[in-house]
Amino acid sequence: MTAFTTDRRTLLAGAAALAGLSALPGRTLAQGAPIKIGTLTPLTGAGGPYGPVMVKAVKAVVDEVNAAGGVLGRKVELISEDDQTNPEAGVRAARKLIDVDKVSAILGTWASSVTTAVAPLCWESKTFLATVSGADSITQLPHQGYLIRTQPNTTLQGRKFGEFCVAEKAKRVFFLSPQTPFAKSQFDNITEAVKKAGGETGSLIYDDKKPAYRSEIDEVLRFKPDAIIFGGYTPDTAVMLKDAYRAGYGGLKVAFGYAVNQKLVESVPAEVVDKTFTIAPSPAEGSKAYARLVKMIGVASPDPYTTQVYDQINLILMAIAIAGDTSGTAIKDAVRKISQAQGGAKVDNALDGLKAIAAKQPVDYDGASGPCDFTETGDIADCQFRYEQVQGGKLALVKIA
Amino acid sequence: MSQLLQALVNGVMTGTLIAVPAIGFSAIFAVLRYPNFAIAAYATIGAFAAWWANVAMGLPIPAALLVAFAVTGFVGVVAEETSLKRLRNNGALIVAIASIALNLVLENIVRFIFGNEMRGYDLPIARDMRFGDLRIGPQQLQSLLLAVAIMAAMFLFLRYTRFGKAMRAVADNPDLARLKGIDPAKIAIVTLFLGAGLTGVGGVLIGLDTSIDPLTGYRVLLSVFAAAVLGGLGSIPGAVAGALMLGIAEELALLVVPATYRTGVGFVAILLMLTFRPRGLLGERAA
Repeated sequence: MTAFTTDRRTLLAGAAALAGLSALPGRTLAQGAPIKIGTLTPLTGAGGPYGPVMVKAVKAVVDEVNAAGGVLGRKVELISEDDQTNPEAGVRAARKLIDVDKVSAILGTWASSVTTAVAPLCWESKTFLATVSGADSITQLPHQGYLIRTQPNTTLQGRKFGEFCVAEKAKRVFFLSPQTPFAKSQFDNITEAVKKAGGETGSLIYDDKKPAYRSEIDEVLRFKPDAIIFGGYTPDTAVMLKDAYRAGYGGLKVAFGYAVNQKLVESVPAEVVDKTFTIAPSPAEGSKAYARLVKMIGVASPDPYTTQVYDQINLILMAIAIAGDTSGTAIKDAVRKISQAQGGAKVDNALDGLKAIAAKQPVDYDGASGPCDFTETGDIADCQFRYEQVQGGKLALVKIA
Repeated sequence: MSQLLQALVNGVMTGTLIAVPAIGFSAIFAVLRYPNFAIAAYATIGAFAAWWANVAMGLPIPAALLVAFAVTGFVGVVAEETSLKRLRNNGALIVAIASIALNLVLENIVRFIFGNEMRGYDLPIARDMRFGDLRIGPQQLQSLLLAVAIMAAMFLFLRYTRFGKAMRAVADNPDLARLKGIDPAKIAIVTLFLGAGLTGVGGVLIGLDTSIDPLTGYRVLLSVFAAAVLGGLGSIPGAVAGALMLGIAEELALLVVPATYRTGVGFVAILLMLTFRPRGLLGERAA
């Protein structure tokens, strides 16, 4: 065995070398280090079908911007983590992004429960967070501006569901939902819309990890509803729809666009889901940004979340450019300068935006998900909704309004 | 009254669905003396194997069940031989933890091959039959009969065949069994094949009722574990009794507590059982 001795001289030399080492790269780092951006999307779990495409859209934008020289002369580095559609896993992944990778911004959190858990980590570490979650409570958190969302909140969504049921002549509307941060405000707003038209509402909150919901459906049917709003995610909604069919329910069925999607329609027998209506915030189809996104990722009709996360990365990169600073605080202070500058140049992608910013022009970004204008609290100011119906195994567009 | 009866019927139905994987879990515990949490992945693998047989190959459901049994049994044996076996000497806790890791690996292999989307079997759906106020689904009835048939076959196997007797002997007293010339390694392999295979079949039965995705097994893991603990770890009739009790308790609980607390019922059941009767309903020794 070799003796390991340390004398005074080697210790000194070692210490000096160490000090030199730590002093040296500090300089160079500050110049050329890449700007780090994190995505935190569900790659597994209930949101699993959406996350991978969302990451693809973000990556496409980052690659494009890097190819054109990056932002502030620096490359953008993308770090993608999986939140597993699970708050606990989401927090762990966010900790890694914030503490280890030291990202400037996190984008793409999908489930409201995940966003609610991750948001405090973000504002406390002054990391910017852009989300696609809809729960009202999210923008009511004390986030000090470190949070924006591109998804309309549930007050708006709930009202649309209620009004739709009323328009379809439903008098007794039942709301069926797993435990989510938006279940309550959703139901309250449905109730408000239905009561205004003289109708009645009932609700049931269920556990979304069960193999069958026969007893839950029994309870729903005791209310004798003529409309059921399915508020769950895809796997549990599939089971609910089956059990409702088995129980002989034949009334109006309405669900979220993210739950009753083409994949669900294909995976259950046609009669189970036939005539079900879906309501979803509508992307700005026909806009230039939307057409551009379709071309970039090669997906014919990207889902709302993909269009939203595409807008988020464009906004964040432009905000960094106009602030001349990569910190979360700088993004927070600058984001509204490029999303909704009065009389600004209308741009629909970060490349054009970066050019306009370099030319000292004000910028007003209009994206693939909509106009992307934000209120003080971080909500979007305006959004369209898309109504579809399952007809013969396909989702058919009813209207966009 | 009819509400109570309906909840009872629903409980028996969910209970039998849980019972089949619970038998698999308990059989593995009885012989190998460790809780194998990889059964969640086995259930998922069974569900996907049957999906492949049913949808891609066009086989009817009973044939698909056999495919699921064979594939999952094989995967179970391979997984044990390649990873868990060498840990068995380090105690049950180490193997149990390793089985959780194994579960994650297997689940993600399924995800890698089949993707994240939901899939459904090629099976027509039928409205429920009604008897007065009670309603019973023909498919659920079919699943129930399949589950009962599988359980009966398992009982007969354990009771009357040489292998079955040898398995019971090893479960009862491994050292004595060895003295009698029973090779525990061979018994372990057969047990794993049976246990994993049954769990795979259970995954299919659950999938028939719902839809399948890579988390199908994981969602019922807690219920299966609760059923096995409730019935007495290692006892096969106990697993069936535990599953039925749990199913009925969960459905009956819905009449008094909000539906969102349903999983809580399972936890409370484990807690009460471990507090007052640690060996479970039909368990013979303290686990």
